[in-house]
Amino acid sequence: MTTLTLADEIVVLMLDDTIGEINPGCMNVAGVAIAGGILMELALRENIDTDLKSLFVVNPKPTGDALLDDFLAEIAAEPERHPSAWWIDTLSTRHTDLVERILARLVASGILREEERRFLWVFARRAYPQVSDREEREAKARLMSVLFNDEVPNPRDTLLLGLANSTGVLSAILSSDEQDKSAARIEEVVALEEIGRSVGLVANQVRDAMTMMLAPYH
Amino acid sequence: MEITSKIDGDLVQLNVSGSIDASTSPNVEQAVNAAIKGGRKRLIFDMRQVSYISSAGLRALLMAAKQAKAAGGGVAVFGLQSEVEEVFTISGFGKIVPIATSDADARAKLGA
Repeated sequence: MTTLTLADEIVVLMLDDTIGEINPGCMNVAGVAIAGGILMELALRENIDTDLKSLFVVNPKPTGDALLDDFLAEIAAEPERHPSAWWIDTLSTRHTDLVERILARLVASGILREEERRFLWVFARRAYPQVSDREEREAKARLMSVLFNDEVPNPRDTLLLGLANSTGVLSAILSSDEQDKSAARIEEVVALEEIGRSVGLVANQVRDAMTMMLAPYH
Repeated sequence: MEITSKIDGDLVQLNVSGSIDASTSPNVEQAVNAAIKGGRKRLIFDMRQVSYISSAGLRALLMAAKQAKAAGGGVAVFGLQSEVEEVFTISGFGKIVPIATSDADARAKLGA
């Protein structure tokens, strides 16, 4: 069984299986969420740590995961310390192929399959439907468990909830009644993790920037 | 970092000094695991000598709270220095783990 990283899981959750692509509503923040997921994974593996002021390397030893190790090497090579939000913004801007890299590894591990589909009968595009929806169901079940069980959440699920909340995935999963009932719990859990708060901050900045760019056309 | 413990029935008070971060959080985890394994389900962290806590440190305390709750008990902390208190405030950690004003208050919050 393949163990998914948080970056893999948020991509699975962001996929719209009917079109086999990242849900258009998540597209603007997909890179931010993946960069955040990679940093979260490095934090859970205790390669990096954060505090209110900065994100820093505590163990530069490669993890064996190419994507995680690219990020780890870049952070280790940076002479100055920066906050998590700076790293999420910088790494998501610097690595414009994050979505493609995650999709490729999900295909390689047999979770997605790659298909060529036609748009308007002429234009070819690649689609990534799930082979089975097991990984998606499992991730959603963990999110629901955090929200509706009165247990202390574990760090991995807390971080996944932060990603799902900042990308809008969570509001798409929950009914409006469930959203109302879980609003306080979402706020409580997301606040627990510094990187989770930073992903939310950067995602909001990206959305605000997109709104500003599109404003003259409305 | 140093951790000493004081046991009182099913309650243990862990007196922590120094920084709780990625390099020292395994010590916290070890102390918590030993306490839970030894039948202690109510854990009090005396934080008066803790000058710094990182996200990894906070995660270790979160896991302590999870383990203690699963054992039918809980975790409380007291004696937060201002920088540590700021971390607890921003993360809303006090909603998960009661923040007490003294060891007696921590005991009261855990029903001891």
